[in-house]
Amino acid sequence: MNEISILMQLLGRRVSLYEFGATEDELLRYLNIKGKNKEGYLKKLIIDLSSYIKPLGYHIKFNPLNSYWYLSINSEISDMFKTNPFEGHPSLAATLFCTLTCCLKNRGYTQIQEIIKLRKKKNLSEDLKELSKKGYILIDYENNEIRLTPLIGYQLDLNQLILNLSLKKSEMDSKII
Amino acid sequence: MGYEDISQELTRYIDTIKEDVVTGKISLLELELNPIFKQLKESLNIYNIFNYSQTYEKACILLSQKFEELKNLLNHLDNDEIFMQFLKSKPSDVEIEQILGNCWRKAFHLESISPEFMFWSNQRFSKDHPFIEKIEHVEKEQIGGSFLLEIPRQKFTEKMMDFYNSIKNKLPCKFDELFDGIQDQVKVYEFFVYILHLLQVGLLKYQKTTTIIYE
Repeated sequence: MNEISILMQLLGRRVSLYEFGATEDELLRYLNIKGKNKEGYLKKLIIDLSSYIKPLGYHIKFNPLNSYWYLSINSEISDMFKTNPFEGHPSLAATLFCTLTCCLKNRGYTQIQEIIKLRKKKNLSEDLKELSKKGYILIDYENNEIRLTPLIGYQLDLNQLILNLSLKKSEMDSKII
Repeated sequence: MGYEDISQELTRYIDTIKEDVVTGKISLLELELNPIFKQLKESLNIYNIFNYSQTYEKACILLSQKFEELKNLLNHLDNDEIFMQFLKSKPSDVEIEQILGNCWRKAFHLESISPEFMFWSNQRFSKDHPFIEKIEHVEKEQIGGSFLLEIPRQKFTEKMMDFYNSIKNKLPCKFDELFDGIQDQVKVYEFFVYILHLLQVGLLKYQKTTTIIYE
């Protein structure tokens, strides 16, 4: 066993329904990396492993929602194997999008009422329950609050989503012109 | 090293990209410009340098356009308005699903060797299981004379697999549909037994809530 194999194991582990990989502290502790340049050394290990596994279709990524490093399958492979968890469930996808929009405005949580308002639907309880079951949100029934779990940070490529939205916007703008 | 001059070819390629960008066929943000500059660099030498200046200029213009698009994109990033603007256009659920469509990535995890899975499987499987009887065909013995016990011509497994092959195309379907058109109750019972065994060996699966049989 060497550092790379331990790193691979830590980055590929599932911690809970919505957490994969390991934090920087955990990586340093398990790998027993100490000293002044410990972060630099860890980053070098991550970069080395990343370039090593790239031809296999994997990337090492960082989830800003919970500060975990994890292994991700690259976009081409993901598209090929249809990783869209909402394919054929547009209503659920739309509810998640509205939840995401509300939560982004409000540092990761929002009131259920706000989502209902944005979604323009009387009842979203079934959709919200299903999203909670899938591990994307946590529902606080007492305070009527919804909180995003880190799972969305692992599975949704936010950059790609913003790019899609920008392209859609320019498409709409050009139609107006 | 050869003295290949691909400047005209590259210029034509850049012009095609420009046209596609103007007509909205492609977005510069989605296009990799590295290969163009790489080809320029690799095929450039002192003998063709004069032909390459125009190509290089066009490639640089393309790059600067890409930066411009990126700048516009980044300008949109400073607020959450881009999400709201999209929702204000009253998109249908299907349109929203499409916007999210190519944004999903799969996280890789080694569930099969994770400690959590080992713990779960230990709880799940570390139990005494009853011995499962193996079904074997009884060998027919030559005993001479007549014998009342009839042994079927085909082995049970063969008959079961024949039945499985005959229903494979129907799947997935409701459990009752597998017996459609069969009047003979003995046959119904026989097929029912095959289904039970196919379920046991895992070739068929049954969803209790919908009574659907599937592979």
